[in-house]
Amino acid sequence: MAEHGTDEPSSSTGSPDGEGRDSGDRLLLHQRLAVRELIDTEASYLHMLQLCASDIRSRLQQLPQGDLDVLFSNIDDVIEVNSKFLHDLQETASREDEQVHSIGNLFLEFQEELERVYKVYCASYDQALLLVETYRKEPELQREIQGIIEAAVPQAGPSGLSFLLVIPLQRITKYPLLLQKILENTDPDASAYPVLQRAASALQDVNANINEYKRRKEVASKYTKVGQLTLRERLARINTHTLSKKTTRLSQLLKQEAGLVPRTEDKEFDYLEERLHWVSLCVTETKNNVAVYLANLEAFLRFRPQESELDIPGGPVVQYCSLMGDLQLQAFPDFKQRLEGLVWQPLCSLAKALSGPQNLVKKRLDKLLDFERVEEKLLEVGSVTYEEQEARHTYQALNSLLVAELPQLNQLAMRWLGQILHTFVDLQRDLAKQVLQRAEGSLAQLPHHHLSEPAFRKLVEDVLGQTGHQLRSFQENFEKVLPPPTVQPLLPGAERQVQALLSRYGPEKLYQVTSNISGAGTLDLKLLRGQIVALLQNKDTKGNSSRWLVDTGGHRGYVPAGKLELYRVIPGQGEVKEQVQPPKDSHHLTPEPSPAPVPSVPTVTQVVAVYPFVARSSHEVSLQAGQLVTVLEAQDKKGNPEWSLVEVNGQRGYVPSSFLARAPSPAPWGWSLPS
Amino acid sequence: MPKVEFTKHMGIPFKIGQPKKQIVPKTVERDFEREYGKLQQLEEQTRRLQKDMKKGTDADLALSKSAVKISLDLLSNPLCEQDQDFLNMVTALDTAMKRMDAFNQEKVNQIQKTVIEPLKKFSSVFPSLNMAVKRREQALQDYRRLQAKVEKYEEKEKTGPVLAKLHQAREELRPVRDDFEAKNKQLLDEMPRFYNSRLDYFQPSFESLIRAQVGYYSEMQKIFGDLTQQLDQPGHTDEQRERENEARLSELRALSIVADD
Repeated sequence: MAEHGTDEPSSSTGSPDGEGRDSGDRLLLHQRLAVRELIDTEASYLHMLQLCASDIRSRLQQLPQGDLDVLFSNIDDVIEVNSKFLHDLQETASREDEQVHSIGNLFLEFQEELERVYKVYCASYDQALLLVETYRKEPELQREIQGIIEAAVPQAGPSGLSFLLVIPLQRITKYPLLLQKILENTDPDASAYPVLQRAASALQDVNANINEYKRRKEVASKYTKVGQLTLRERLARINTHTLSKKTTRLSQLLKQEAGLVPRTEDKEFDYLEERLHWVSLCVTETKNNVAVYLANLEAFLRFRPQESELDIPGGPVVQYCSLMGDLQLQAFPDFKQRLEGLVWQPLCSLAKALSGPQNLVKKRLDKLLDFERVEEKLLEVGSVTYEEQEARHTYQALNSLLVAELPQLNQLAMRWLGQILHTFVDLQRDLAKQVLQRAEGSLAQLPHHHLSEPAFRKLVEDVLGQTGHQLRSFQENFEKVLPPPTVQPLLPGAERQVQALLSRYGPEKLYQVTSNISGAGTLDLKLLRGQIVALLQNKDTKGNSSRWLVDTGGHRGYVPAGKLELYRVIPGQGEVKEQVQPPKDSHHLTPEPSPAPVPSVPTVTQVVAVYPFVARSSHEVSLQAGQLVTVLEAQDKKGNPEWSLVEVNGQRGYVPSSFLARAPSPAPWGWSLPS
Repeated sequence: MPKVEFTKHMGIPFKIGQPKKQIVPKTVERDFEREYGKLQQLEEQTRRLQKDMKKGTDADLALSKSAVKISLDLLSNPLCEQDQDFLNMVTALDTAMKRMDAFNQEKVNQIQKTVIEPLKKFSSVFPSLNMAVKRREQALQDYRRLQAKVEKYEEKEKTGPVLAKLHQAREELRPVRDDFEAKNKQLLDEMPRFYNSRLDYFQPSFESLIRAQVGYYSEMQKIFGDLTQQLDQPGHTDEQRERENEARLSELRALSIVADD
């Protein structure tokens, strides 16, 4: 007869066996103990957490806040969740029989929250450990920290901070074990059993997920930073290992391209990748275009026509200047500033945020090639090295990470971009509003504000036409301010010369000398007022445009341009009148500079002697007042115009030029007397 | 026949000296300088104004074009084919930008016609004015010179040749003096008139300028006001917007694939 041995853990109803009941009782006892352990350890765990978070953390004042954030991570959240958990756990004690059942349900209830807070804590634990290591290297600091910890938690021992920080990790991994212990001491037929089973496996899942999360975060942080490495860092990363990786990948890629190896197609991923690419393009282009817009805005604000001082005391000119001045002070700078803060900055942040994922996508492709090669090897050889396994896992982690998060990334990025564009539109509208508010006052004060736009435009056109006429009349009036109006008629001889110059050079090249030119330089001519010359070039060889090269008909040389006036020849008349100002456009001449000696200008003239003159030498000739004489040369052999060579009574000789007066017939150039 | 020391007189060329008499009264000279000075100032300011207006309108055109580019590039992104909402928003934005650009071009044309061209015309009078002032100066120099000559003869002993020369000098002086007086008077009359004409001249231009700007910004307010309605965006303050931006950034950073710095 089979005995119900003590080995049978189940308590079957309806077999009141002393031993069976004993084992049942023992089971129950163990179960109760396990439950007790769970609750008690939970309580002391929570107490320890609170010690860390409040006492110890607050006393570690010599550490910067950033460090404390890394060390203690989200311990406050953990405490919050575990406090609630403990509270509910303790409540289950009241429901004696149902307690285990409740405990199981409680775990299932808290599963999500536990995963949420612990995964964050666990992911940053490694970084916290690194910090602790750095502290250990500074003996002074280490002593202080140790002192604080030992004061609060004597049992921490020499490991101090790391001992404390690892506690949450220990706890979360303990839950499945604790549950397992309760489960072992529970009757499989009990109603609580399946619940407990589910709870145990749930907590195992939690731990698995926490690990996965941690791994993804590590992978992500390892590869997103790739783009931001300095050249030096990148070079440091190249070693035989990486080089061999790259060559293997390349050969894998080549094999794919050659069709030797099938490419792993992942349509879902390709779609996500493409979308990411378009989203990034969108963001980058918009960012660049906004940068150009801002630069143009700056340029636009630089020009300030309103700062011209036209000495106009009132009216639309003043209105405009004050309006633009005010807008430059307020409305435009506001617009620019808001653009920079609410459109440009966010675009920059968005673009930057997208760079990490883009790097990851590139890295994934590399890892995919690794993965494929390992898969091949697996098929061929049947086993792979540890490293190759790692490569497979890395790819899978990266791939699943991207597939999981890219949709959300794309969506968030587009949403943000949309908001930024909306803001851009709002800012434009606000600018317009501000401008119009300020302009309202100015507009009302304009003389024609009541006119419709077409009517006003017509009015302005008419007014500008009229004032245009007025301006032209001013211009003409100013141009009528002419050089000295004295008329300088010519002798027939001179006339001939003028004709010669005219036919040779044309009328627009003829100039008349307005005042005597003394001709100082070696290439300069000495000319008398009234003389006619032809312009050869309106500047000298050095490019000096106030020294002109002229042709007198006999000689060529330089004269000051200021002493020349354009000479208008009236055809068919013996006398020449009218001098007009030289036109503004320059003359086009072929340069022909040639030096000329001081010329003597041959003249033949009839004049009347005003005063009598007695010759004192054979060079001179006597004059009688009122006598008609013929002037042969209006200067002496040295070119001195104060003496003239005349012929009188058949005799030739020099007489003082001032003793001669112009006859009714045309006089030579020389000292012109009023007609 | 008077016995004269010809060699003394005739051998030495006459020096062109400054006349003793103040031929132009100080007040007249001062008036002239004041009026011309004002005009010189006006010339410079007009030139500056012209330059600023030209460069300002060029910058204005460039600004408007760069706004159009923002929406144009968005419209050519393939996302528009995949996402109907995005396409709608970008199309609305693009329409608005293009319309604003058209209005801007019209505004600039109006400014060109009623402000920049008239400014050019106004500026073009100044060269003639400056030339006229130069000629007056020339005439003044001539006048001075001849006046000095006359005075020189007047001081000498009244001999026959001297008298002859004096007579001649006086004859020469007369037209030159008349010429200078005429020029001086003409300019003293015209300069203030020209200076004052700026009032009549600039006011219409500037009135036109204000109206053109106001017209443009009115369109801007309407078009972008309609667009914000169409996009159905709630009114936000700047603080709210900043918070939104930070929230969006945090959301992105919460993803593992987004680098944390």
